[in-house]
Amino acid sequence: MKKVICECGHENPYGTELCESCGKPLKDQGKGLVNMRYEGAARRSQTYSRTIVDKIWNFFSSVKVGVWIIVLTLIASSLGTVFPQEMFIPPGERASVYYQQEYGTAGQLFYQLGFHNLYSSWWYMLLVAGLATSLIIASIDRFFPLYRALKNQRVTRHPGFMKRQRLYHTERAGEDAHDRLKKAGDALREKRYRVREENGNLLAEKGRFSRWGPYVNHIGLIIFLIGATLRLFPEMYLDDHIWVREGQTVEVKGTGGEYSVRNEEFLIEFYDDEDERFINNPQQASAVAKTYQTTVTLFQQTSETIGSGVEPDEVEQFPIRVNNPLTFDGFSLYQVDFKLNELSEFTFAVEPEEGTDDELYSETIDVNLYDPETVYEMDNGFTVEILEYFPNYVFENNEPGTLNRIPDNPRFIVEITPPGEEEGEMSMVGIQVNNPLSEESDYRLRMVDFDTNHVSALAVRRDRTIPILIAGGIIFMIGLVQGAYWHHRRIWIQERDGELLLAGHANKNWNALKKDFSWLSEKTGLPEPADQAEKEETDGTRDEGVKSNHGDAGSDKQ
Amino acid sequence: MKKRRLVIRTAILLVLTAALGYTFYTHFSEERGLVDAGDEAPDFALEDMEGNTVHLDEMKGSGVYLTFWATYCAYCRDKMEYLKDYHEDYRDKGVEIVAVNVDEPSVSVQRYIDRHSVPYANVIDRGMRVSNAYGVRSLPAVFLIDESGAVVERQIGGKTEAQVLEALDKLVPGSG
Repeated sequence: MKKVICECGHENPYGTELCESCGKPLKDQGKGLVNMRYEGAARRSQTYSRTIVDKIWNFFSSVKVGVWIIVLTLIASSLGTVFPQEMFIPPGERASVYYQQEYGTAGQLFYQLGFHNLYSSWWYMLLVAGLATSLIIASIDRFFPLYRALKNQRVTRHPGFMKRQRLYHTERAGEDAHDRLKKAGDALREKRYRVREENGNLLAEKGRFSRWGPYVNHIGLIIFLIGATLRLFPEMYLDDHIWVREGQTVEVKGTGGEYSVRNEEFLIEFYDDEDERFINNPQQASAVAKTYQTTVTLFQQTSETIGSGVEPDEVEQFPIRVNNPLTFDGFSLYQVDFKLNELSEFTFAVEPEEGTDDELYSETIDVNLYDPETVYEMDNGFTVEILEYFPNYVFENNEPGTLNRIPDNPRFIVEITPPGEEEGEMSMVGIQVNNPLSEESDYRLRMVDFDTNHVSALAVRRDRTIPILIAGGIIFMIGLVQGAYWHHRRIWIQERDGELLLAGHANKNWNALKKDFSWLSEKTGLPEPADQAEKEETDGTRDEGVKSNHGDAGSDKQ
Repeated sequence: MKKRRLVIRTAILLVLTAALGYTFYTHFSEERGLVDAGDEAPDFALEDMEGNTVHLDEMKGSGVYLTFWATYCAYCRDKMEYLKDYHEDYRDKGVEIVAVNVDEPSVSVQRYIDRHSVPYANVIDRGMRVSNAYGVRSLPAVFLIDESGAVVERQIGGKTEAQVLEALDKLVPGSG
């Protein structure tokens, strides 16, 4: 594409509206004020649309498209909060039934439209991805031309540019014009303007960095979105849980076998019946946990081969309470749940069917319910052999079996062999169950005691995205402050062919610029430029060109 | 100039598409396990029910059919019946079957193995350390490990006799 060469000699990219160097309008913008948006630089997206790549690029570069994506994302996000997301409905409830039961037809619709898992649905993710793409492309498309234009601007601007600035004044230059210009330069430096002079022309500029605010802000936003997306990767974000019985050592999930914890002790304290918080229903108090705590020992395994016999190193002992997690190597273990009094041990005694108090039968055996022995030899000569063990007994398909390996309903098939005998007698023993299986039975096992254990549930979390999210947030705020609390002001003063020209531009807060001008006028006697936008408005002579320019005159949105 | 513009734009769009594609792929393909085809099989050394050490690393040179099971898993029990029948044939062809029980009481496992006369090596995964290393979340879970120690395939769920045979065939050294 051809370059556009301005009469000042500067080469501008195709599509430039105002010469990057001298500001001469290169395109007919009609009468009235010049459009200062992006310094009249060529926004590439608006100029080329040859290939399919250009077309996609232009689509995402459009602010209109960006606003639509934001609006759609906001609407979708708010719809997802109408009813709870699936992960927050009570555990064990089936989503397909729950929403209709709880919220009626609206709930059913909510479920069928997939809003119960909205934030991880493909179309929501596409919307957010579209937002990120729009941010990136629109920023690239605007930042670089603007940067170029502001970097290339020269002191001596074209009269056509000056004349069509919102703040403009011209008059015959007096004898002292040169001195006044010099004085103005010094005065503006005092006001902390950056002043450049060239052939008796002056450009004073202040707060240019505020024009980068929106782009800094967008970078922060993109970093934030990247951080949020990284949560989908287990390497970056892990949320799991483990159940640990008292005395048991369990590997911490997600650590690849490197770390394990042993539950040393689980403590729980309930509310007191007399607690004033439960004054209306004191019977409830004893069911509500006041505090609970798991004291754990953390171990670190150095060997990579599982079962190699290398003993793990003890790292530390720590009491985990709600909101007081154990943190190590990026992982955190939180106290989340507990199960009280899980059966752990049965104590049996052998006794004859015909009851007796004989001392012979006071002998007992302890049977570990997690991992019982095969044979128990008793000192009184009896042998108890475990033929079958079902930790969570169930009778299915005409067969005894177990539901899982948790001893919630333990049942044994045992063979009791009295001293000196070859053949034993079989029976089935469990909670409130003691059925002889042999034809003749003289003995049976009597459960004399049992023992229980508390089980503690610990949530395993690792979130490596937090620093990214914080960094994104900070950059976002920096950009916002940069763009909102500072503004870009420029003052041009020229002496040309016996005429004195003054013009001013601000990207917002024109009042501050006007104040600067009146201050300058007090100091140096230079005239104050008039606000051409206001004048036109009161004159009622606004034409199309002015209207469109005036719309942006208050602030140049980036 | 025009060409450079096209290249830069295309590159940026491609990077964005790739990032999005990768995110979607990892998020929506639940299929891939912690250990899956192409990965190296995590090593372990555990004693089996007979007291022999089963060390995965030492089985290099043979294909390994590594199956995670429990007595309460019906599909696992079906699979065991098929494996029993073919165990010897495939041992001669250089395929080892290793069964890993998911931390059940020894008595339950021992009695089950005795009752069903399971002929191949069975280890009990105390503390679920092997299961965690392989990312086993549901049963039955099978990992086909080739003679070099690499995972060829990860199979979750019940399988028919024909499917089990096919899997064993894949493991015969030199077949792949």
